[in-house]
Amino acid sequence: MRRLWTLYLRELLEAVRSYRLVWVPVVFIILGIMQPLVAYYMPDILAASSNAPAALLENYELPGAATVMAQALGQYGTIGMLVLALAGMNSLAGERLSGTFELLMAKPLSPVSIVAAKWAAHLTVLLLAVGLGTAGAAYYTALLMGQLPWSAVAAASSLYALWLLCAVSLTLFFSAWLRGPAAAGLALLLAAGMSLAHSLLPSQTGWLPAALPGLSAAVLADGTAEAGPVICALLLILACIAGASLLTGRHKLPD
Amino acid sequence: MNDINWGLIGPLLALQVLLAVIGLISLTKAEQVRGPRWMWVLFLIFGNLLGSIAYFTLGRRDL
Repeated sequence: MRRLWTLYLRELLEAVRSYRLVWVPVVFIILGIMQPLVAYYMPDILAASSNAPAALLENYELPGAATVMAQALGQYGTIGMLVLALAGMNSLAGERLSGTFELLMAKPLSPVSIVAAKWAAHLTVLLLAVGLGTAGAAYYTALLMGQLPWSAVAAASSLYALWLLCAVSLTLFFSAWLRGPAAAGLALLLAAGMSLAHSLLPSQTGWLPAALPGLSAAVLADGTAEAGPVICALLLILACIAGASLLTGRHKLPD
Repeated sequence: MNDINWGLIGPLLALQVLLAVIGLISLTKAEQVRGPRWMWVLFLIFGNLLGSIAYFTLGRRDL
C-alpha cells in the first residue's frame, strides 16, 4: 500500500511538472463558465455579428438553468473528453519513450500497482477539473439563469465524470498497447462509437456507459436516474485497468 | 455593447490569460517542442482557448 502511495505521488509530481494538474482544470473552468455567459449574452453576440434578423433577437428566450447546466456538461463530453484523452495518452507509452520504463521495471513492483497509480493520478486530474469546472458553471448559471439544487448539480457532474473516466481508462489501456496519439485516437473513437450506438438505438443500449451524459441531463431536469450504465461503466473501467496491467506485465509497451 | 459587465466577463478573461501565461512559462522551460517556438508563442497569445489546448497537447514533446 505504501508502495502504491509512493508511485501515486510520483505520477502526481509528473502531472505537476507537465502542468497537466493546472492547465486541464483551467480549461474545464473556462468551458464551464463560458456556456452560461454565451447563453446569457446571445442577443448581444447575434446583434454584434450584424446580419441576424430582428425577429430572431426579439424572440430569444433565455434558456432555463437546467438546460444551460446540461449544455455546460455537454462541453465536457466533447472538448473536455478530447483534452483528457490527449493529456493522458502518453502515460504508459511515454515511459518507454523517455527510457524510465526499464528503471521502473527493474524494481520489484507489480504491474497492477504501476497502472493503478497512473490511473489514480488521472482520476485526480479529472476530479479536480470536473469539480472546479462544474462549480464555476453552477455559480454562473445561478447568477444569470436561476438556482439549481446543489445535490442535482453534484449528482449530474458525478455521472458525467464517470463517463469521462471511462474514456480516460480506455486511453490508459490503449496506451499500454499503442503509441500515445494512436491510443488517444482509438479511445476517443470507441467512446464516439458508443455514443453513436446509444443515440441510434437508445432503447436497446440503455446500459452502455454512453447513456451517462443523458442520465446526467435527466438528473438536472427532473431528478431521475438509473443504475445500469453506472455499473457497466465501473466494469469497463476495471477491465481497462486489468488489461493495461496485463499488457504492462508482459513488457509489451510500445516503443 | 457599451455596458459590458466586467464582473461577469472578468474571471473568464483572467483564466484565459492565466492559461496563456502557464503555456508561455512551460514553453520557456521545455527542452524540446514540436515545430518552431515562435509559432507556439503566437498560438498561446492569439489562439485563445484552442491555441492553448493545442500547445499543451501537441506542442510539448517531453510529456
